[in-house]
Amino acid sequence: MPIQNPNPNKKKKKHSNQDDDEDDTVQGKQQTQFEFCKVCRLNHNQGRRHIYFPNHKKALSSFLYRFQSKFKNDVAFYLKKPMPLRPEHAALNRLWCVFCDFDILEYDSSFACGNAIAHLASAEHLKGLKSFLWKYGGGMDRMDSFRISESDFTKWEKKCKLLKSEAAGGGSHGSLIGPLNDIHNESKSEYVNSFDKNKLDCLTSDVKCSNSVVPLQDHTIERSQISHSKICTVGPQILHAGTGVGLGARTPNGLPGFFGNQHYTHSVPKEGPAYSCPNDGKQVYPYEGIAIGDGHSQGTSSEESRLQTQENGGGNVHSGAPPPWFSAAEKIQLDNKLNQGLGDLVSSLGEQMKTSKLNPKRVGAAWAERRKIELELEKRGELVRHDFGADWLPNFGRVWQSGSRKDSRKEFLGENKTWRKVDSQIEKPSQLQPYISKRMRTENTAE
Amino acid sequence: MNYLLTTLTKKQEVDSMIRDTIDKVLVLCFGRASDSIFLQLDEILYKSVREVSKFATVALVDIDSDDVQVYVKYFDITLIPSTVFFFNAHHMKMDCGSADHTKWVGTFLRKQDFLDVVEAIYRGAMKGKLIVTCPLPPDRIPKFHLLYEDV
Repeated sequence: MPIQNPNPNKKKKKHSNQDDDEDDTVQGKQQTQFEFCKVCRLNHNQGRRHIYFPNHKKALSSFLYRFQSKFKNDVAFYLKKPMPLRPEHAALNRLWCVFCDFDILEYDSSFACGNAIAHLASAEHLKGLKSFLWKYGGGMDRMDSFRISESDFTKWEKKCKLLKSEAAGGGSHGSLIGPLNDIHNESKSEYVNSFDKNKLDCLTSDVKCSNSVVPLQDHTIERSQISHSKICTVGPQILHAGTGVGLGARTPNGLPGFFGNQHYTHSVPKEGPAYSCPNDGKQVYPYEGIAIGDGHSQGTSSEESRLQTQENGGGNVHSGAPPPWFSAAEKIQLDNKLNQGLGDLVSSLGEQMKTSKLNPKRVGAAWAERRKIELELEKRGELVRHDFGADWLPNFGRVWQSGSRKDSRKEFLGENKTWRKVDSQIEKPSQLQPYISKRMRTENTAE
Repeated sequence: MNYLLTTLTKKQEVDSMIRDTIDKVLVLCFGRASDSIFLQLDEILYKSVREVSKFATVALVDIDSDDVQVYVKYFDITLIPSTVFFFNAHHMKMDCGSADHTKWVGTFLRKQDFLDVVEAIYRGAMKGKLIVTCPLPPDRIPKFHLLYEDV
């Protein structure tokens, strides 16, 4: 059990200003009161532990990223180049400060994002920011990216004053500035539009004029809506095919059949609407299969086919016609690639299932992966087995050694060399000779 | 010597053993066949080889062979039998309360002890730890005095 907070109740009472649903003080230990986490939009009773959970961390990073992008694109731009704000654009210029939980409106400010900049530079915002980061664990070092420093603020104010004085001083100047501002504001209003409204609005207008590709999200929603009406009767069958892709090893027959669907989607459009496609039951519903296949994204091959089926111009998106720039020759090439990819997939899927489960952080993981590849290549005969040499030594941490293991090996090899030298010196054999005393020698010489 | 496990006598054999054991613990026991304690160790290992076969490989190394002397020196093997553990060609250390963490000196009192030790090594290795603590209580660990380097 994790170590509990010393005073969980006290801390929670201070900082939980949202819903307090339950109070299990009877239990008395951790997980007492429920709090609302603004970042994950979740009620939890984990107390301070919650901010360290990976889900919370992910939610927090996306949360802060969104605010930061608004801040950078919008406010920071106007911080550098202050521009007068026209009342008609004021409504578009609002900013919600996530740290202080309030909406910054610009109705009475004379400069674009004036109120926002003033707020972000203020001490209250700093306070709110600090408490937010403390509560939700954002990392106190990132504070400066969410606020405006005083020096920047004063610079901005000076620029604003200059602009005001210029506007007041020269009427012609003012008129010049007017249209300029208009252009700026127009572009800005479009910009702000893209912030506040759905991106689709901008894109649909593009689509109508240029016949370009509709973004992926839209398409899958549309497709699923179309296919849903047809799916109900054939649901389980398709799911089988779908799961076949996901698990791979179980239904090898299912796989080619499933991908066979996608082959047919390429060739069918020339014949006409694909719903009239003959042959197997599986192939009658190619789109449903693909729509579900989207969910089971298995490698790049499914993605490729997904993109192909969706990019349809002249024939129709819904009839599954290929895009006009997509010539028949390329299609065949892609089909072949798909086939090859399939083969590899099926064979290596079994292995992949095993290797993917092993902890990548285990000891010698990198070495093991390399060695496996080497052994495989040796089995196939592609790589000639090269002996590591008689001097190879494994990674060993010696007893009387301080420092890394590589050092130990070097140390040992160094010791080895000196040892060998000593040995070779000793090995010069001293020939044994019988002892002849001096007297004997002198007697011999004398004789 | 059919009562002994696979005994390695050459450096090249030891090398290939170390390099070819992937994602499994390699248990290398250094000793000589004439030693009774070594034989006892071998007995325990023989009984457990099959049970750990999925996550461990066991091999014996004959200390008396010349080819292997490099390893004897490299691993500082002075007391017999000594067992060294490897995982993916990386040496695994185990803290048994003795001064020498790099190897296991002596035999195992029970088969279960050996299994526990190997399991602890495997678990630590899979988590990425190069040194693990011994799961056995100190009374089950054979004691020895470490010979100092200068001796």
